[in-house]
Amino acid sequence: MENAVEIKALTKKYKDFTLDVSAVIPKGFATALIGANGAGKTTLIDTLCGVTAKSGGRAVYFGDMTDIDDDALRSRIGYCSAADFFPLDWKLKTIAECMAIGYDNFDRARFAGLCEKWGLGSPDDKKQKNMMKMSDGNRVRAALAAVLARDTDLLVLDEPASSLDPLARDQLCEMFRDYLAAKDGERTILFSTHNIADMEFATDYAIFMAHGKVVEQGFVEDLKEKYILVHGDAQDGAKAKPLMLSYSVNSTSFEGIAPAENAANLEAVGAVTERPTLQQLSVGILRKAEEDAGK
Amino acid sequence: MKILQNSSDPIYKQIASQLRDQILSGKLKGGDALPSIRALAADLKISVITTMKAYEELASEGLVTSSQGKGYFVNAQDMRLLAEQHMRRVEENLTEAIRSAKIAGLPLEEVQETLSALWELENGEGG
Repeated sequence: MENAVEIKALTKKYKDFTLDVSAVIPKGFATALIGANGAGKTTLIDTLCGVTAKSGGRAVYFGDMTDIDDDALRSRIGYCSAADFFPLDWKLKTIAECMAIGYDNFDRARFAGLCEKWGLGSPDDKKQKNMMKMSDGNRVRAALAAVLARDTDLLVLDEPASSLDPLARDQLCEMFRDYLAAKDGERTILFSTHNIADMEFATDYAIFMAHGKVVEQGFVEDLKEKYILVHGDAQDGAKAKPLMLSYSVNSTSFEGIAPAENAANLEAVGAVTERPTLQQLSVGILRKAEEDAGK
Repeated sequence: MKILQNSSDPIYKQIASQLRDQILSGKLKGGDALPSIRALAADLKISVITTMKAYEELASEGLVTSSQGKGYFVNAQDMRLLAEQHMRRVEENLTEAIRSAKIAGLPLEEVQETLSALWELENGEGG
């Protein structure tokens, strides 16, 4: 399968934090960056989008492009950090005017259409409030409308779902699928989240991050076959633990994830196993990463 | 198509199974195009990779073929192959029934009687 982005030992060094990532973002799919707060998700996104300069390594975009400061590359990427992406004293009209100046591929009619569709009203309405007076959710909608009004090949969204209500998250997932379906196989999405449960049905590929590094990555359907979710009675825990990757126990039961090939051995010691959801997989993988980091 | 998101049956299997039924029953014919992976994902409100896995499963069974850049197409069904596919499903389901019978401690005769009775019942309903 082709990759939209290949990230090769890309680093970003801060005084107290180092990002060091090698990963791929497969073309034609939605990839989720999953990790705890402080894992480096935003740093990776900012470095990939040229918001901050990298310290080393490289990223190859669309097969052969490597210079993120090149306008030809930037015009193909729709980047949006959900939190206060536009200045708070801007109105929808200001967004439309500035995007039109900044990007040749900004479609003003499409922007207006998305604003109407998501209940923000018309950008040309004189009574439009500025961003400061909008709800958090509407600010995110305005930013998403602006980025989607451009015809791009790669959407990069930092925590798009975090300030959205359940209905709006569902709309976001729908928007992801429509974006990917509009140019079958040509468009790619990268988004970060620390709340994967709501995005499970819009996630194709997952990159798990902890402490500035990638701890696991793969297509979600493959990961769900690579790992199993394990439950058992607390009394059987000691026998099951060595066969598991992550393990937590209380007075009645234990649970965690394990490599799928250990299923028979785990069942032999009295545990039950099942196919994990992406949420359960994330908890297991990130918990293991924390345990490894603590060693 | 009907998808249960919280079923213990993985979603890709549910999709594959329903498309398989449509192909084996002749509702989808040789040469018919399956919906594009991403369009079906959008319609069913599921991720693209899940739809793709369903299609790949059907391709591995020889029911559909992927054509680079054009999507997936239903293969012309060889009648002998089709009969084998049907037979395989009958065997799978009967094996499942036998396992349940053994757990319940039912003797073969009783299971055969149940099978006959259910057969009659189905015939009756079918008109």
